[in-house]
Amino acid sequence: MNYFPDEVIEHVFDFVTSHRDRNSISLVCKSWFKIERYSRQNVFIGNCYATSPERLLRRFPCFKSLTLKGKPHFADFNLVPHGWGGFVQPWIEALARSRVGLEELRLKRMVVTDESLELLSRSFVNFKSLVLVSCEGFSTDGLASIAANCRHLQDLDLQENDIDDHRGQWLSCFPETSTTLVTLNFACLEGETNLVALERLVARSPNLRSLKLNRTVPLEALARLMACAPQIVELGVGSYEDEQDSESCLRLQAAIRKCTSLRSLSGFLEAAPHCLSAFQPVCHNLTSLNLSYAAEINGSHLIRLIEHCKKLQRLWILDSIGDKGLEVVASTCKELQELRVFPTDLHGGGNAAVTEDGLVAISAGCPKLHSILYFCQQMTNEALITVAKNCPNFIRFRLCILEPHKPDHVTSQPLDEGFGAIVQACKNLKRLSVSGLLTDQVFLYIGMFATQLEMLSIAFAGDTDKGMLYVLNGCKKMRKLEIRDSPFGDAALLADVNKYETMRSLWMSSCEVTLGGCKRLAQKAPWLNVEIINENDNNRMEEENGYEGRQKVDKLYLYRTVVGTRVDAPPFVWIL
Amino acid sequence: MEKDGLGLEITELRLGLPGTEKMMKKRGFTEMIMTSSGSNSDQCESGVVSSGGDVGKVSESPVAKSQVVGWPPVCSYRRKNSCKEVSTTKVGLGYVKVSMDGVPYLRKMDLGSSQGYDDLAFALDKLFGFHGIGVALKDGDNCEYVTIYEDKDGDWMLAGDVPWGMFIESCKRLRIMKRSDATGFGLQPRGVDE
Repeated sequence: MNYFPDEVIEHVFDFVTSHRDRNSISLVCKSWFKIERYSRQNVFIGNCYATSPERLLRRFPCFKSLTLKGKPHFADFNLVPHGWGGFVQPWIEALARSRVGLEELRLKRMVVTDESLELLSRSFVNFKSLVLVSCEGFSTDGLASIAANCRHLQDLDLQENDIDDHRGQWLSCFPETSTTLVTLNFACLEGETNLVALERLVARSPNLRSLKLNRTVPLEALARLMACAPQIVELGVGSYEDEQDSESCLRLQAAIRKCTSLRSLSGFLEAAPHCLSAFQPVCHNLTSLNLSYAAEINGSHLIRLIEHCKKLQRLWILDSIGDKGLEVVASTCKELQELRVFPTDLHGGGNAAVTEDGLVAISAGCPKLHSILYFCQQMTNEALITVAKNCPNFIRFRLCILEPHKPDHVTSQPLDEGFGAIVQACKNLKRLSVSGLLTDQVFLYIGMFATQLEMLSIAFAGDTDKGMLYVLNGCKKMRKLEIRDSPFGDAALLADVNKYETMRSLWMSSCEVTLGGCKRLAQKAPWLNVEIINENDNNRMEEENGYEGRQKVDKLYLYRTVVGTRVDAPPFVWIL
Repeated sequence: MEKDGLGLEITELRLGLPGTEKMMKKRGFTEMIMTSSGSNSDQCESGVVSSGGDVGKVSESPVAKSQVVGWPPVCSYRRKNSCKEVSTTKVGLGYVKVSMDGVPYLRKMDLGSSQGYDDLAFALDKLFGFHGIGVALKDGDNCEYVTIYEDKDGDWMLAGDVPWGMFIESCKRLRIMKRSDATGFGLQPRGVDE
């Protein structure tokens, strides 16, 4: 390859887009490293504290798109206290100072401020795309800056963020000349929007493909919006609960019929049961359906809609669909690749809405299924073994039995054999979440068979350190390991310190690791940040010297890094 | 090792040296089991509560309806927006949903703004623009409709039986149902008393 001029090699590299592949080719030789670094367009940083903005800019001076992730996954479940970190401000400041022509910024679980958004909007002339997922710290004022200043904005995609809604006029801040929008998703905003401004914006955006409204956009407005944008591919419906006259309904149905490109439907946060039928004309084209927020729609209405969705590839639903409903899905949706079934009732009481039967039905009926997230109240080994036989193609298998430690409800045995069957059959399994009653045995299976596993979530499982050791020793491709409320301690933590260099991060909360153990780890591995999150004032770990070593650590989060201890940690985070 | 149900002793979490009573975790393991199994003390597995001895550090009265932090693993955005967890804490306070057979949309009304069943009757009439509902509440068997409500336990009850105070405390939603649909339920006409 060195006989070719650099431009030719670079052109070849253009076809290599995955960041992992690009990382690999950059390691081949110095010349390739250099060519690759100047030509990398999209940079992915899975842990913002693993590196720094300065190092990013030094290595990749010409990138256009940056993806950054901040808090650990368990932050989604309130296990990481407010103020822990993940601030995007220093990144935007550094990028703004440099000459990077940033066009796209994708953030997940980061703290974003209005100041950051304002700076972002003013610093990059060609900025096109902002995607914020599970972020917090900003308000609609920040959105107003983006709307007003980003002349070429194509995507404003806000997913599940915690945004302070000032009910202002941020939508009106898009200048009249702005016609470039492709994606507009503000479903997570709580407040009223200026419907006139919204309609005018949609009407002057001929490239708009994805429109996801929030719960305050009423039905009549939806009809008008769809009439303005019949080219829409993804639609997030707002509110359906308002009193609707039949004329509105008819207008909506007429508008929906014209949306022949519609492939994805979501939203329905405030939905009356009868609203779904208006969408029946487009069902046969739908590839993605997310009804997981539509708590008011009961199983039978869901089924009536899904019966028409023969091309569905992705379905997110509530467990109110029931096993019967899942059987309908299994017999109708032969193209289904991803299924998520969420719990309606978090307390696990009431009717057993979906059981192991629903899961088995899906596995039998949907040959292309590769990703599943399934919340249920009961499971059996037999069902899991059947699922494994039916579906050896799982890439992601996440099962959450609502009650911790619940055994096989027929045999009262642990679910080790069931999960064992899953990891043995699914040779491409990359992500696994286990639940129910589990002993060290299941981890033996995971260590032995789950050779491609990259992310593992463990809760209320295992008996001894051996469990964790099986996983650390066996799963060579492990990147993210998160454990809560399981009896793993220092012996497992310290057995193979070098393992953590091959992983992005390890989270352990309410386990058996001690402060002494964590300190020993930090000593052995200076290239790790070992963080103890310590919220109780009572835990005066410094004081009682003799016992300190044996004091249990409530939350441990460790990750490899090339830039050492971070400087923005709050007082309740101790970095050893 | 005694095998009481789940063999909890192995997985018991304790803070500090064995025997140090004071260094107890805020939320003991057995508490978590009890709360996550529906947190009704009657329903607790007796093995859990009475396994005394080495597990007994934790107080044996179940923590009232408190949840294990972050369990089940549903992200906070989703919890806020859809799960029934939200509605159970709003029992008796403020707005409940009202549905009426034959009407394709639901309404919401504030129970707190009514002083009694008469008020409620009047409010329901206004809500749906239909004068029959109030009659149903007051004078049962002559009316085309019955008013029923879903209580805290998820059961559907005929409105008007219990004192007003008790009613608004337990009413989660209202439904105005055609009497003809309700006959299967075995509702007694008001006049016939035990």
